[in-house]
Amino acid sequence: MKLTRSVFWLLPIAALALPLLVNPYHQYVVNLILVYVVVGVGFNIVVGNLGQLAFSNVAFFGIGAYASAIFTTQLGIPWWLTVIPAGVVGAIAGCAASIPALRGVRLFYLAIMTLAFGELMRWSYIRTPALTGGSMGLTVPPAELFGWVLESETQKFYVFLVIVVVIVVAVSRILESRIGRAFLSIKNDERAAAAMAVPTGRYFVLAFALSGFVVGIGGSMYAALVGHLSPEAFDLVQLILHFAIIMVGGLGSLVGSILGAVLITATPELFRDWPGFEELMFGIVIVIVILFLPRGLASLLARVHPIFKDRYLRED
Amino acid sequence: MALLEITGASVQFGGLTAVNEVSFQAEPGEVRALIGPNGAGKTSLFKAIAGEEPLSAGTIRFQGAPIHDLTPHEISARGVRRTFQNGGLFGELTALENILAGLHTRIPSSFGGLLLGTRAAKTAEKNGTRKARALLEMMGIPHVADQWARDLSGGQQRMVEIVRALATDPPLLLLDEPAVGLAPPARAELMKIIRRLVEEENIAVILIEHAIEFVMTVCDTLMVLNNGELIAEGPPEEVRRNREVLEAYLGR
Repeated sequence: MKLTRSVFWLLPIAALALPLLVNPYHQYVVNLILVYVVVGVGFNIVVGNLGQLAFSNVAFFGIGAYASAIFTTQLGIPWWLTVIPAGVVGAIAGCAASIPALRGVRLFYLAIMTLAFGELMRWSYIRTPALTGGSMGLTVPPAELFGWVLESETQKFYVFLVIVVVIVVAVSRILESRIGRAFLSIKNDERAAAAMAVPTGRYFVLAFALSGFVVGIGGSMYAALVGHLSPEAFDLVQLILHFAIIMVGGLGSLVGSILGAVLITATPELFRDWPGFEELMFGIVIVIVILFLPRGLASLLARVHPIFKDRYLRED
Repeated sequence: MALLEITGASVQFGGLTAVNEVSFQAEPGEVRALIGPNGAGKTSLFKAIAGEEPLSAGTIRFQGAPIHDLTPHEISARGVRRTFQNGGLFGELTALENILAGLHTRIPSSFGGLLLGTRAAKTAEKNGTRKARALLEMMGIPHVADQWARDLSGGQQRMVEIVRALATDPPLLLLDEPAVGLAPPARAELMKIIRRLVEEENIAVILIEHAIEFVMTVCDTLMVLNNGELIAEGPPEEVRRNREVLEAYLGR
């Protein structure tokens, strides 16, 4: 029987049964993995597909999380109605983050500017206590969906699963279209992309906005999952986590974003009972994967069967 | 009205004048070759036509309209397509995807349509793919369609780059050293293709080239740049006998 890509649908269908097999704590870890799948998918658009060394991801993540929390606590809007607006706020932040790149800032210069953006946002969360609770943080009331309170991890899991599926399908459609090709053209040779009538400036803004939208939604999910936001959750360690997800998974690969999120989120949890080991194992896993699979876990899966070959994962 | 009309065009980099008051016209159905020693200003002139370098003086008109204030993608969208001296192909895309990237403006799918996977978006992508395959077939390289561009041989890369530039049927094609690194049979093939395009499709080609024999055979009009100035323009045999050209370029 010839396998087609429709077998990917088996993954979320099989995942439906997951809550039957895991305890609430493990369910929480699985939910966190789903948050990081969304974060990885969004981050990869700018880094893996557009090829820009831009680290504004934590800013988008924090902005999405705080936007969702503020809409819920200050305006009394139910959480599920804040998911898309959190994405929109993330997209606006994405447009702002694309300005240095539009001005021709590239590589390490872009990296440091976008890092500064993330730190500026963290400073803003601390300095606006009326909105964000300042350094004390902000408690997010339990998410509500049509009067159904998302209190248990299982309930959150099903809602998150739907969000992840919608985002993965939507981003995959965009990346496999002329828009995705335009992103990769810019990554490969910006001058040649413009010579092919690709309006490169517009595609920079689009990629950053799309990334901000997706990661903003990830932030909204994170707010609903952890229930309490504090500025230190959006620091450089968070960025290292995001970067590790896409590097370990495979730059530019959707499948890689999923695999990277699973491995990077689950590894420290597996060693939680041995204090000190979680950080050590986190580092060891990154080193081993990058050393032996420089194109990430996605390249390993691609060897198993061609259908796992991400269209935009290039193997050397 | 000429297809391309350049009047008194100058390009300056700080105090250096790379192109100095160059004027010429290009008509459909002709191949113009631009030769000159290294640093003569050939590539700077190409870049100015393509919108990659601003003019410090003069005008460039394409199909009657000024284009010297437009951005490279706007000029490309109007029908001025170019290839590059180095690189230019998108190595991470297959040959077919490179052609599809060349067809970017001809695949009319909206963001919403793509997101929702509408029939119109799918049809646009399918039609683009069909056209890209047909172009590779026409150029005699259908077998490279699904290979990564970076894995192709030098000759195949040149051909794919030319096909990509031609994908939208541009009236004007700028080729920057198309024959460099090509073996003699591949050069002969390239020459035939350029002549066929000009004669059958009635497009104009301007090319920069150092391979004199190639230039003499392929072009209708030869232009010689030296120190940014156009010192000769005319049929290749006539220019070849020009004393100024012999002194400046051939060193005789």
